Amino acid sequence: MSELLIRGARKAYGATLALRRGDLRLLPGEVHVLIGSNGSGKSTLCKIVAGSVKPDAGEVLLNGSPVTIVGPQAARALGIGIFYQELSLAARRTVAENICLPALPTKGSVFVDRAALEAKAARFIEAFADVAGDGFSADAPVHTLRADQRQLVEIMKALASEAPILIFDEPTSALDRAQVDRFFEILRRLKAEGRAIVFISHRMDEIFTIGDRVTVIRDGETVGTSKISETDQASVIRQMVGERDDPATPAVAPPAHQAQPSAVLSVAGLSGSGFRNVSFEVARGEILGFGGLHGQGQSAVMRSIFGALAHHAGTIALNGKQIAMKSPREAIAHGCAYVSGDRSRDGILQGRPILENVTPIHFLRNRLALVRPSSLRERAMQPLPALKTKFQGLEQPINSLSGGNQQKVVIARWLIDRPDVLLLDDPTKGIDLAAKTDLFALIRKLAENGMGIVLYSSEDAELLNNADRILVFNSGSVTRELTGADRTRYNLYHAAYEAA
Amino acid sequence: MSTETAVSVTAAPSKAIEFLKRPLVVALILIMALLALGEALSPGFASAEQILRLLVVASVMGIVAAGQNLVIIGGREGIDLSVGGIVSLAAILAGNVMNGADSGILPAILVAVSVGALFGLFNGLGITLLRIPPLVMTLGMLGVLQGLLVVIRNGIPSGRAAPALSQFVTQPFIFGLPGIIWLWIAIGLFMAFLLKRTVFGYRIYAIGSNEQAAFMAGVPVKTIRVGLFVLSGAFAALAGVCLLGYSGSSFSNVGEQYMLPSIIAVVLGGTPLAGGKGGYTGTMAGAVLLVILQSILTTVHIDESGRQMVFGATLLLLMLFYGRGRAMRG
Amino acid sequence: MQQTLTSPAANASPLKSVLQRFPFVPALIILIALVALNGFFQPRSLSFGSITGLFSTYLALMLLAVAQTYVVFSGDIDLSVGSIVSLVNVVIIVLMEKWGGGGLTVIAACLVGILTGLACGVANGIMIAGLRLQAIVATFATSIFFTGLALYVLPVAGTPAPEAYWMTYGGTYFGIPFVFYVVAAVAIVLGVLARMRLTTQMLAVGDDAMAAFQTGLPVTLIRIKGYVLCGLFSALAALCITGDTASGDPLVGGKMTLYSVAAVVLGGSALSGGAGTVTGSLIGALIIGLINSLVFFVGTPSEWQNLVQGLAILVALMAGILVSRGARA
Repeated sequence: MSELLIRGARKAYGATLALRRGDLRLLPGEVHVLIGSNGSGKSTLCKIVAGSVKPDAGEVLLNGSPVTIVGPQAARALGIGIFYQELSLAARRTVAENICLPALPTKGSVFVDRAALEAKAARFIEAFADVAGDGFSADAPVHTLRADQRQLVEIMKALASEAPILIFDEPTSALDRAQVDRFFEILRRLKAEGRAIVFISHRMDEIFTIGDRVTVIRDGETVGTSKISETDQASVIRQMVGERDDPATPAVAPPAHQAQPSAVLSVAGLSGSGFRNVSFEVARGEILGFGGLHGQGQSAVMRSIFGALAHHAGTIALNGKQIAMKSPREAIAHGCAYVSGDRSRDGILQGRPILENVTPIHFLRNRLALVRPSSLRERAMQPLPALKTKFQGLEQPINSLSGGNQQKVVIARWLIDRPDVLLLDDPTKGIDLAAKTDLFALIRKLAENGMGIVLYSSEDAELLNNADRILVFNSGSVTRELTGADRTRYNLYHAAYEAA
Repeated sequence: MSTETAVSVTAAPSKAIEFLKRPLVVALILIMALLALGEALSPGFASAEQILRLLVVASVMGIVAAGQNLVIIGGREGIDLSVGGIVSLAAILAGNVMNGADSGILPAILVAVSVGALFGLFNGLGITLLRIPPLVMTLGMLGVLQGLLVVIRNGIPSGRAAPALSQFVTQPFIFGLPGIIWLWIAIGLFMAFLLKRTVFGYRIYAIGSNEQAAFMAGVPVKTIRVGLFVLSGAFAALAGVCLLGYSGSSFSNVGEQYMLPSIIAVVLGGTPLAGGKGGYTGTMAGAVLLVILQSILTTVHIDESGRQMVFGATLLLLMLFYGRGRAMRG
Repeated sequence: MQQTLTSPAANASPLKSVLQRFPFVPALIILIALVALNGFFQPRSLSFGSITGLFSTYLALMLLAVAQTYVVFSGDIDLSVGSIVSLVNVVIIVLMEKWGGGGLTVIAACLVGILTGLACGVANGIMIAGLRLQAIVATFATSIFFTGLALYVLPVAGTPAPEAYWMTYGGTYFGIPFVFYVVAAVAIVLGVLARMRLTTQMLAVGDDAMAAFQTGLPVTLIRIKGYVLCGLFSALAALCITGDTASGDPLVGGKMTLYSVAAVVLGGSALSGGAGTVTGSLIGALIIGLINSLVFFVGTPSEWQNLVQGLAILVALMAGILVSRGARA
């Protein structure tokens, strides 16, 4: 039974204040939801408690007495276990080794006790055995697993700490519904055992399903805590965004846009690793949605169209002209654009100025060899304000921006020279509500100006609110097309879970 | 957890301190300090002609480091250990082609630089097409080059530098500066132009900072990386020709002494080995710093052993100023 | 570069899973092929005496490759191993000479030599893991320092080792050459090390240092321990090379550093850390030795030998990397 109290936690990275004043009171036997738009400081607060980030100020009280957490080891010793959003797995080690890595069972505290290690890991693997999917076993190296399976390993690793205080920083972002349900069952059991649990998620439905109390963080400051039973989504969102405009997504039924008849992108019989026989057309001015459970081939199809992933059958045509799409270079040259939700992997050039992050597509599409800084800066400045990007100057390193603004810079690079087709692969993953609103407003405008847009989103509400037509993916194939009034949450769920 | 510490942590560090922390500035200050120290230990150390002599030595190192610098900025553990072998090979080839005749200088440079670029091309192709880590590929290539040197030394008579080349390297050329220093300045300008004013330069930083993102933004990652190694080979070969001019005749393995120091010069100049950052101006200062340091140690009368210990320890101390990685617990 | 988001083959082929568990198998195949070739061109090379000779010459490189492997496990590198070999070599030679060269003094000198190696490892570890210097350049700097120390201890090569030392190293006991006792002892030590918690921890650090830190592993300490192990095995390598050359030389190890890196890579370990085996590195060192003797046996003209060796090692490095990557993918 542990009660944790954090008061006035503060952390700055250089000039950027990541956490201004973090307060949190965590009670035994509760699931305490921490919510706030991205960059609001949730993860920093968690990492301070877990010892992996050193706070500049603030105090932590465990069961009423002040404690000093000098590092992750110290946190563990105090009974704090954590699930890291970015995962803390050793890719080449096995599932079992990863689960036990924080405290390897030993013989004589020198040699690894293999039998004990495997027995311990088996207990946690067992709990998810029927929802973990193919290829998941105790001796599988983690790098051979899918994203959702890796997330499960990180969950098991946190659970294996057996700590009275457990922190889960976005543990469900890659999980499918069955996996989330199983995880919630376990959380409820832990809660009943009297453990204190912090749970972070961007999905409102999950928060209201599992949470007991909710603490809202805005701009690095704790705004308030309330009981889940005494609040509702609207008021939580109001607390999250404060005085700003209501960022609630537009009406559930989007206006039926007059799509121009000409197809700007036609895909026929496309098959490759992770998807098969996918065919569709996108008209100018249309936003086509890709729906379904996570990882059913939506992303693979987009990357394949963009030339980043090979396809072994089928054709791709832009404006009626068939193109091989052997590389992103070719796709870009033909007016194709792709924005990945994994911006730190596929998007941003870390440590480089905003200017260099905005210009690579411009260089390629205009076949430039020399840089003329003045005219280049002028061009780079055009798309950034349209996205309401907040930045001080083009020389500012991209890392100093918040996640949402980083993503805006990445999107801006495609808009200097207008593409014909824009592929959005879960573009709002991990960015805050205000930035999302800005993005979708822009996307609609781009469509109205004649661009063909394909949108995949892991949030159903985003799809329903913004896509004119939705293709539902299941196991790599399109299983259903939702148009007009069919675009309902019920239909989307139904199609996604069919035969799944 | 320090609860009461650092009220002032978030206060923006003053501009002056930021300025003083820049690697280039640190290197320049250290150069001044070392010159003063040298002058104090042995009067005449910081005389104009002595400094010129140091700069001539530094320029050879600096030219090797130019290619090394590009490879390192390009990231993905970019490093070129084969430059040591290429410098030696280029010196021998150039010596044989010109063999003491001024008319042979141009063909000699052409041959040497092409061969250097060719080996760079092999490196680049192995690293990009077969995805061999640069350290391994260039290490293996170094072994090949060293073997090749043995063959060449046995097969053909060793050549001599043409008088004009020696003059260019060692004698005053314009405004009292030897030609090689002008060449180095020109290379400095070329590097600045390449990195700041060409799309190629922007793309070097792009692949160095995030190769996958660069690929997704249509940067021809492999072509750029091959280009970097070709340039590195060419620069090393050019340095080899200069070295021939400096020493008059080529002897075995002259280049090996440049292999790791060229990397140190880059690091002291503020380009981290992780890539994606840095530039050549700092590297030039780093090369000068290294050469002055070595020269001071030869000036003072201590044994070879003491000299090496002081040199090693000083390098470690200097690295504490720059190349430190980030703490795990930020 | 291309990234599949979908599930990788759920059931890897049996070949792949063998390679994943025993990443040194490709190296072993190369080794066997080299042994066969050596036997084909010079049948006597497979005689007991020749093999003993091979081991007594290359045992030092094998141990140095082991030393390098322990830092490579955690994603580091040590370019000072060769200079540690030199330093330990001159330290024991000078001490044995000073103390008279009797049996006990030899042992005492060896102990001091091992302590010297450990101290060098600690120094490297503190510089790189503690003070967070970049491994490549920092160990190059420490190698200059260690070489300076070696030159201070023994300025010029030539002091011979006492008879008791090299006679033992080259001797035969109960019908078995001494080097094979060494090999057996090393094998046992390595087997023990492989089962230690430290090995798993080092590999986890090499896999992803940040993740290991967040997991609660003492990353800095683990990396320092890697360097200490490296210093230890470098010192052992020095003892072997001293037995083989029977003299002191302050530059004896200089050329061995890069070979030790090559041996690690040949053995299927990833220089980026997190994957590899010590067995592989041992095989890698033997491959380098066998390539050298094969080049000699096939009758390569002497001036071409270095080139052919260089090419063969380059090809073996490339082949090894391609195969082991195929296995890990």
